[in-house]
Amino acid sequence: MIYNFKYLAPETRGELHAMLADRGPAAALLSGGTDLLVNIRNGVLRPEFVINVKKVKDFGGIAWSAEEGLIIRAGCTINDLLRDARVRADYPLLAACAHDLASYQIRNRATVVGNVANASPCSDMAAALLCLKARAVISSSRGEREVPFPEFFKGVKKTVIRPDEILERIIVPASSAGAPGDYRKLKRINGHDLAIVGVALLKQDGEIRMGISSAAPTPIYVGGLKTSDPADLVVAAALEAVHPISDVRCTREYREHMIQVYVRRLLEEVKA
Amino acid sequence: MKIKLTINGASYEKDVAENRTLLRFLREDLGLTGTKEGCGAGECGACTVILDGRTVNACMVLAAEVDGASVKTIEGEARDGKLSDIQQAFDRHHAVQCGFCSSGMVLSVRELIERNPRPSVGEIKQGLEGNFCRCTGYTQIIEAVLDVTGQIDRKGEMTHA
Amino acid sequence: MLEHSDPSTLKHVGHSPERQEATAKLTGDAVYTSDMTLPGMLHAQIKKSPHASAIIRGIDLSRAEKLPGVRAILTGADLDYRLGLYVVDKDILAKGKVRHYGEAVVAVAADTLAIAREAVELIDVDYEVTPAVLNHMDAIKEGAPLVHPDLGSYATIPEVFSPQGGTNIANLSKCRKGDIDKGFKEAEWIVEREYTNPSVQHVPMETHVAIVEWKTGDEITIWTSAQSPFTVRGLFCYTFKLPLTKVRVIIPHVGGGFGGKAGIHMEPLVACLSRKAGGRPVKFQATREEEFSLLPCRSALTYKIKTGVRADGRICAQKMEMYWDAGAYADYAVNVTRASGYSAAGPYEIPNAWLDAYTVYTNKPYGTAYRGFGHVEFFWGLERHMELVAQTIGMDPLAFRRLNLLRPGSLTLTGEKITEHTGDIRKCLDSVAAGIHYGELTAAEQARELQTGLKIGKGLATLHKAPAMPPFTATAVIMKMNSDGTVLVNVGLTEIGQGSTTAFAQIAAERLGFPLDKVTVTVEKDTDRDPYDWQTVASKGLMLTGNALILACDDLLKNAYEVAGQALRAQPCDLEHDGGRIYIKHNHDKSVSFSQLSVGYCYPDGNAIGGPLIGVGRYVAQGLTNLDKATGQGLPALDWTYGAHGIIVEVNPASGEFHLLKICSAYDVGKAINPDMVRGQCIGGMIQGLGTALCEGYIYDEQGHLLNPSFTDNKIPTARDIPDEIECIIVETPQLDGPFGARGVGEHPMIAVAPALGNAIRDAVGAELTHMPIRAEDVWRAMGRKEPVETWITRTPTGSCRSVLL
Repeated sequence: MIYNFKYLAPETRGELHAMLADRGPAAALLSGGTDLLVNIRNGVLRPEFVINVKKVKDFGGIAWSAEEGLIIRAGCTINDLLRDARVRADYPLLAACAHDLASYQIRNRATVVGNVANASPCSDMAAALLCLKARAVISSSRGEREVPFPEFFKGVKKTVIRPDEILERIIVPASSAGAPGDYRKLKRINGHDLAIVGVALLKQDGEIRMGISSAAPTPIYVGGLKTSDPADLVVAAALEAVHPISDVRCTREYREHMIQVYVRRLLEEVKA
Repeated sequence: MKIKLTINGASYEKDVAENRTLLRFLREDLGLTGTKEGCGAGECGACTVILDGRTVNACMVLAAEVDGASVKTIEGEARDGKLSDIQQAFDRHHAVQCGFCSSGMVLSVRELIERNPRPSVGEIKQGLEGNFCRCTGYTQIIEAVLDVTGQIDRKGEMTHA
Repeated sequence: MLEHSDPSTLKHVGHSPERQEATAKLTGDAVYTSDMTLPGMLHAQIKKSPHASAIIRGIDLSRAEKLPGVRAILTGADLDYRLGLYVVDKDILAKGKVRHYGEAVVAVAADTLAIAREAVELIDVDYEVTPAVLNHMDAIKEGAPLVHPDLGSYATIPEVFSPQGGTNIANLSKCRKGDIDKGFKEAEWIVEREYTNPSVQHVPMETHVAIVEWKTGDEITIWTSAQSPFTVRGLFCYTFKLPLTKVRVIIPHVGGGFGGKAGIHMEPLVACLSRKAGGRPVKFQATREEEFSLLPCRSALTYKIKTGVRADGRICAQKMEMYWDAGAYADYAVNVTRASGYSAAGPYEIPNAWLDAYTVYTNKPYGTAYRGFGHVEFFWGLERHMELVAQTIGMDPLAFRRLNLLRPGSLTLTGEKITEHTGDIRKCLDSVAAGIHYGELTAAEQARELQTGLKIGKGLATLHKAPAMPPFTATAVIMKMNSDGTVLVNVGLTEIGQGSTTAFAQIAAERLGFPLDKVTVTVEKDTDRDPYDWQTVASKGLMLTGNALILACDDLLKNAYEVAGQALRAQPCDLEHDGGRIYIKHNHDKSVSFSQLSVGYCYPDGNAIGGPLIGVGRYVAQGLTNLDKATGQGLPALDWTYGAHGIIVEVNPASGEFHLLKICSAYDVGKAINPDMVRGQCIGGMIQGLGTALCEGYIYDEQGHLLNPSFTDNKIPTARDIPDEIECIIVETPQLDGPFGARGVGEHPMIAVAPALGNAIRDAVGAELTHMPIRAEDVWRAMGRKEPVETWITRTPTGSCRSVLL
């Protein structure tokens, strides 16, 4: 049952920023809609305004820049990302996290930006972006600011985005291009499911970087590890960084066990 | 607000409530009840339609968002009263039981084989994981897809002991 | 009746023509109740209880009543009607107290769904929360809070059910065969264990929906997504004390039932709203969340089995205790208890048996009929137990089963004698064992183990079920010839996806000798037009209605031959027919067409004889008896369908993750009327059984809130969850009194999938699972012998899951 709201569809950044400046706290941003509309239906969110960002000029798809790297815009869907051959080649970890996210129909609508702005602790894309040293570009009528992803998440479904701001695009730096990486996520079925626990692992220039989902109130970044470190050390670092809970999906013990299993598996399977 | 869109090749211009989902718009405002509601929350795929060439769950799209778009529903799959190749394959392979998932399933198959004309069994399974079926156990559906893509030419069978 | 027909002469039966109603379903043309709107229709929404157990101190409707567009509001105080299939224990709306999370407390009908929803939110209910009893094993203890303090005064069918007033026991069914104490004395080994499984939901893709119009003079029409139009009508009229002629039940296409739509559910409440709203039609469609909590589920079960085995490996005694968690209302659960009771030992020869089966009330969403009617639940325990017994005595599980399976001459738990026509359980078991190369790993499997480091295990399980139905179950068929010589068949049995429509058309075409395209079986059900059928449940439709169909064909032909005889001036015994005409055997040129006879035959001079050709067939179950209340002895079984599963599973010993490589299933169906549709039932049922095994199960917190009321956390199998390889085998030992030898198979494929998997996992990694579902975590815990997860009622905080009452 959809609760009543006013629908707005700005066509320029200026319009969008003005709407957010005016109505920010009472508004919700609609990109893919696959989280927002469920939340409205379930009564979790009751925005007065729903602002569709997909009609804003230059908000769709991706762009490439020699200095910055890959730019994922607000309207870029998960499948848009997966369909891009260069993304798959340059950022295999992004593709790995994206390809088992929800179902094909959801991936045709859900956006990368929406997935991380929603800030579920289960976010599959966050795990990749944390490892890839990606930065969030947050804009408003007051200008733009960049936030590296390890600083982006503040709590369960909470980010640094203020009510008058929008996560406009994500920069995945050129320096992370070509780094091999993969993602393992525990699901209850082979079919589409959120991550009961998820581990993304990337190797680059002798470094190991990990992103872990569903093991803390936010997706967690684990850095400072080297490819020469013994597996036990890497596992210990992962377990140290997280504090999973027991809930209806899984117990804490099994989450911890599977983080270990996945870290070891990924250490072996991701070839530097 | 007013929206203008094409559905199954025909133009529509309608007033919609701003909070109306595409699913409710199709079923209740236009009487196109072929698209079904199974959960209303983007999980089951019973409401799958093709929006600008891509399958989506219509319960997760606002009617307002499809202004200017092109939508295909199950009503657009058969032509001139003749079942499409996919529908015929489903029929032949007994891939329909209660039929409630069939609308969404057929459209998911349509879009799958348009982007991947010769999908493997694994690709079919992954392509259809967003369409729940409680009746068939999926096997005869997969066989129908293999048939319509020219990969098998006979039906699955039971052994007689 | 059995046709000893040479399969090579059968034109329709045994072939796989396409489903009659497939085109409608594939094009979106098929109309389901959820698609229907009627002029002036109102929409209903329900305010539900957020508590498992509470007293309703007050309900404030004032704000809702003022909302424009609200046309009717009802609370429990307004309605003095009780419902109950077997134990009349349920008010249409909670009266004075609520007994489960999600129970209906207030109902609203309004011009639009949005207004109805808003009205519900404007209603305030003042609850005083009371202690709930959530675990059925707590509910049977002395001093447990009583879910139904007045149980002793409820109407029931005392010949069949035994509610125990003053307790939470809605029914106790017993079975006593032989001498249990003597039996155990003969035992060389005694093996005892307990098995459990949680509640699950049917998850039909179309949720429950009903539209009811209660017009002046109590003229009532009900459109509903349901399985049994005559049960809806009968129970409705019983509840409201109306003659059956006042109520018409119409069932268009149904988006799945699986037992959840077998009885009566939302129709009475929706009807009362319509009456209150001056007769305007009212529609209620459950959301998916309501489907999980407002509508019923399948009872949970704790099954304790103690088996005595002789030195030679033969079972000599078995003591069985079943504790069914029925939830807040008895609904079908008391009958599930009874029907499981007489089947509880499985297809095994048990000379001395003792069974006590309890239906226990708890403060949770209640259990109703579910495909398998208890058998999916108890076969989990039974077939895991047979495996344990075999291991304990050091016998190969396949050999142990073969030694103990029922054989011609054996007596079942109720004293029924098995014959060689009952079915061939051994062939089913042997076929699946061969299908998975049971007992060894092939060279390829061994190589795979070496290469992957994963362990491969193989497991078997047998199954059986007879229809759980009254001994007097009846059905009828009316067959009408149209003036073009085509035939329209009315049956009361409902098409819910199982394919009855097509199977019946095939049987009719075969018996009539007509081409298939001349026979149409109607899909929409209408109690004003269709003849009575008891219910579309129990896997009895093909047999009983199939037989009635044959009789109707014979009746139609007899009527046609009588008129043809006069027209042709010949004895009926000298006539034959084909798909279009009746002719004289010794003079084929002398004939009259069916269409000439169809609505009366007219001579050249205008004289007419005969009349509209209508064939009627009626069939009632024959020779069945009630069960003795003290001993459970009797003849309840219309037929027995036997089957077996063999599963090959691959398990990761480090993590507990596992994957089904193959499932091979066999069923003795007597005769496959439409093999492709039988295969569809076999695979579909097996996957639904796999869902129960792998990922389905209600989870509550300690206050009785359902924590997984949606697909987010209540998963069902998707296309990616099916085993890599699926093989279906059918055995055809003809059912002597089945149409063309057929017996039912609708429920059976679900049964015993879970224990076959549990047995395979044990074979692979030694993990002993005694609780369903089997998730990777459960396998990991069982491997390490850690504490099992408390899966139904969580001790731990709920974390990110919320109870959402939608």
